[in-house]
Amino acid sequence: MKKILITASLMVAFATLMNSCKKDETAVAPPVPGNEFLTTVGLKVTNANDATDVQYAYWTDTTLISNPPDSINTPVLNLKADNKYNVEVLFQDRTTTPIGDVTEEIKERENYHLICFTSSPSLNLTVARTDKDTNTPALEVGLTDLFTTGAAGTGELNVQLRHQPNVKDGTCQPGSTDADVNFTINIQ
Amino acid sequence: MKQKTWLVIKILLLMVTSHTSGQVCNFHIIGNILNNNQKPVVHASITLSNGQSSITDTNGYYDIDSVCKGTYTITCAADSVIFLQRTIYINNNTTLNFTYHHMEGDLKEVVINANKIHDLTTLNLIELDKKQLFQSAGKTLGESLKNIPGLNSIQTGPGISKPVIHGLHSNRVLILNNGIRQEGQQWGSEHAPEIDPFIAGKMTIIEGAASLRYGSDAIAGVILLDPPTLVNDRLKGEANLVGASNSRMGAISGLLNGAGYNKWEGIQWRVQGTLKRAGNFKTATYYLGNSGIDEHHYSATIGYHKANFGMFAYYSSYQSKMGIFDGSHVGNLDDLYAAFARPKPITPSYFSYKINRSYQQVIHDLLKLNSYYRFKNNSRAELTFARQSDLRNEYDVDLPYSDDPAVLNAPQVSFKIKTHTVDLIYHTPEKKHFSGSYGISGITQGNVFKGIRYLIPNFRNYGSGIFGIEKYNRDKWTFEAGLRYDYRWLRVYRRNDNSLTVYTQTHTYNNLTGSAGATFQITPDLSVSANTGSAWRAPSVSELYIKGIHLSAASYEIGDSTLQSERSINNNISFKYTGQKLLVQLNLYDNEINNYIYAKPSLTGITLVSGTYPVFQYTQANVRLRGLDAEINYQLLAPLAIISKTAIVRGYNKTIHDYLIFMPADKFDNTLKYQIPNRSKFKQNFITLQYVYTARQTRVPPNSDYAAPPAAYGLLNYSMSTQLPLHKNLLDISFSVDNLTNVAYRDYLNRFRYYADDLGISFILRTKLTF
Repeated sequence: MKKILITASLMVAFATLMNSCKKDETAVAPPVPGNEFLTTVGLKVTNANDATDVQYAYWTDTTLISNPPDSINTPVLNLKADNKYNVEVLFQDRTTTPIGDVTEEIKERENYHLICFTSSPSLNLTVARTDKDTNTPALEVGLTDLFTTGAAGTGELNVQLRHQPNVKDGTCQPGSTDADVNFTINIQ
Repeated sequence: MKQKTWLVIKILLLMVTSHTSGQVCNFHIIGNILNNNQKPVVHASITLSNGQSSITDTNGYYDIDSVCKGTYTITCAADSVIFLQRTIYINNNTTLNFTYHHMEGDLKEVVINANKIHDLTTLNLIELDKKQLFQSAGKTLGESLKNIPGLNSIQTGPGISKPVIHGLHSNRVLILNNGIRQEGQQWGSEHAPEIDPFIAGKMTIIEGAASLRYGSDAIAGVILLDPPTLVNDRLKGEANLVGASNSRMGAISGLLNGAGYNKWEGIQWRVQGTLKRAGNFKTATYYLGNSGIDEHHYSATIGYHKANFGMFAYYSSYQSKMGIFDGSHVGNLDDLYAAFARPKPITPSYFSYKINRSYQQVIHDLLKLNSYYRFKNNSRAELTFARQSDLRNEYDVDLPYSDDPAVLNAPQVSFKIKTHTVDLIYHTPEKKHFSGSYGISGITQGNVFKGIRYLIPNFRNYGSGIFGIEKYNRDKWTFEAGLRYDYRWLRVYRRNDNSLTVYTQTHTYNNLTGSAGATFQITPDLSVSANTGSAWRAPSVSELYIKGIHLSAASYEIGDSTLQSERSINNNISFKYTGQKLLVQLNLYDNEINNYIYAKPSLTGITLVSGTYPVFQYTQANVRLRGLDAEINYQLLAPLAIISKTAIVRGYNKTIHDYLIFMPADKFDNTLKYQIPNRSKFKQNFITLQYVYTARQTRVPPNSDYAAPPAAYGLLNYSMSTQLPLHKNLLDISFSVDNLTNVAYRDYLNRFRYYADDLGISFILRTKLTF
């Protein structure tokens, strides 16, 4: 009896020791393929009266991409006074080539998302969301918008992507923030 | 009576030595029998009332193995003549040395003095027995210890709580689960210990620097959870059933144990299992969405022992899924401030058992093999090997941005740590009032981190330690002193984000710690103990390398890979008076920690795509924690007792001349306990009314927290309990009401106090059938 028990427990101990010698920790997991980081928020602005008047502004997270070039980190728009602009909000993963398009995933989960805009008081800009989700009743999303500019001036436009799983009610308060960036708008 | 040589026995001061806790059926009664000429008495028999027995060897030594806790009549006989019968209560390893004289005449009065001594006796030590544990059955480990003065719990919502000893927690409190260091991701304040409290037959809290015996990390103290000792009966068992109205929590836990007979003599076994389920908890006025718990655990033990040898195998598997309160999801600091400004969470919730994102999922498995051997001279060696693996997956409220279903279903953060430990301990026999324990231990860990957002790197660590403790026990004095040396080697593996190559960084730490203390039994009622001990802790991998957002706290934490070991000197003095009607315990402590590691607000922000976060940088400072724990138990009238407990702790950062953050507020706990006389079959009937007052924490450092500490609050708790013997079985019933007046309050140590109130009223029914 004693011998059996000793032998059995030694075998178990040996087996677990052997198993432990696999040094799993030396294989550091590479970045998860297929996962996209939200590094960049962009605005594509098209003048409603002039389809050739197109501007892009981008805000890029410098902790994810250090020293980004101006092409993806100049969050400035120069708009004409008393005009209307059709706007697309772009969410991108600039860590990959080609650029990862996160907007698609947000569009797919539009019932959980809301984009909120807040202009600083000095900025004569009104923003109206022009798209709706498939909730009942349908609620706005904000991936496409209409900007209406007023008199000349300069200010900040805060763009927030609100994540509102099961709590979306059309207002900005519920849920948590996935993106929160500022653009400088010059109305001339 | 035939021809008699009556023996008058004088029993000397009895010495009780303790071995490692957590070993199965580990109580030994050992000692020697000498005659008045100090010559050994050979072949004398020592028998306990349950039949366990031993016979003295040629040196007069005897040993009774595997004694379970309880009251026994001990019977000594020589030459078929009973010369001693005494009742003795055993709840520890006990050394009973007998001296006797051959003499004609009557059996003279025998006096037994028994001291109860652990490996570290002069530290403040609190034990919770089965009865006390039953009163908190169904609660988390952290919650179930809160009634002890000096202990608190740090919480992340209702389901996740960690024990706090004298203001410190996580990496600074060591938990030994069945004698094995619990190793998971214990650095995180929102990582609860992966333990089923139902496993414990006894919990012991050692307050103070206990590194000497238990190794690094025991800066504030040690919590030992020991399963009940294995039984010698053929079959015994226990079934617990707990239900609580708040969260509609239900828990069922059972155990069966027994011993082999005939050709299976010497085999002992136990199986145990627990299922626990809770839904959304409720504050005084609203539900906390997604705060449910789903937990299950099972364990099995088998042991075999002979006269001087025993070996045991233990396996346990714990699994838990814990919802994270959905009102606590904040993307950034603005969200946090907005949540704090609201009187209640913006989205109304309702009751549900469903656990949605975000949640934590934990699987912890433990295998323990141990054996002991007792040598002829009554010394004893124990060898313990353990392997534990801990998997922790955390799922954020957001799904990853991906179309790949494999990525969508993967946790954002996943840690897997495997730990192997081996310990060899040698207990010397008591000789000329001296006894000692010596040990060596080794540990190795491998940690694998996977995740979408980076938190901590992979690592491997090796550690070893060697210690010796000697104890001198004579008359009214006990002295103990010990030394320990530890070495730790840590290598982290990281991947360069640009080149994708793996590189390593290696750290080594070594530390000498020691402890010395004394206990003086001034009178049989009054004793005083004092202890000075040192402890150490190597920086955890998170403190060295963390870089990222702490989601529920909306802070950005940055580690520092140059951190040194933390070292503490802990002075402790305690008084204990045990009178007929009055029991007083007072414990004063001063814990000076050099190179204390903490996250210091750097007063700058970092702007990420999700917003701006305050930056906290890990750094070191010299700090001091001082405090007192007091307990007075006064029997006002025959059936009515008043129990008053006070706990005060002050944490101060000596380097920057400021307070320490997240120190427990002053707590005053007063209980009236009324015993109702036995009615028909109902015995041990108690009614208690408890009022716990927690003051507002006013001593906080500036710029370290987002919201002022919450107001003081008082909670009224009620309970009634009884015991009902049913044939040979025993049914324990307890009914209690927590937060009787349904007070809405927030606690400073609950990290979710930014977002919601703490728990409202709860009716709890606990039953336990012992058969």
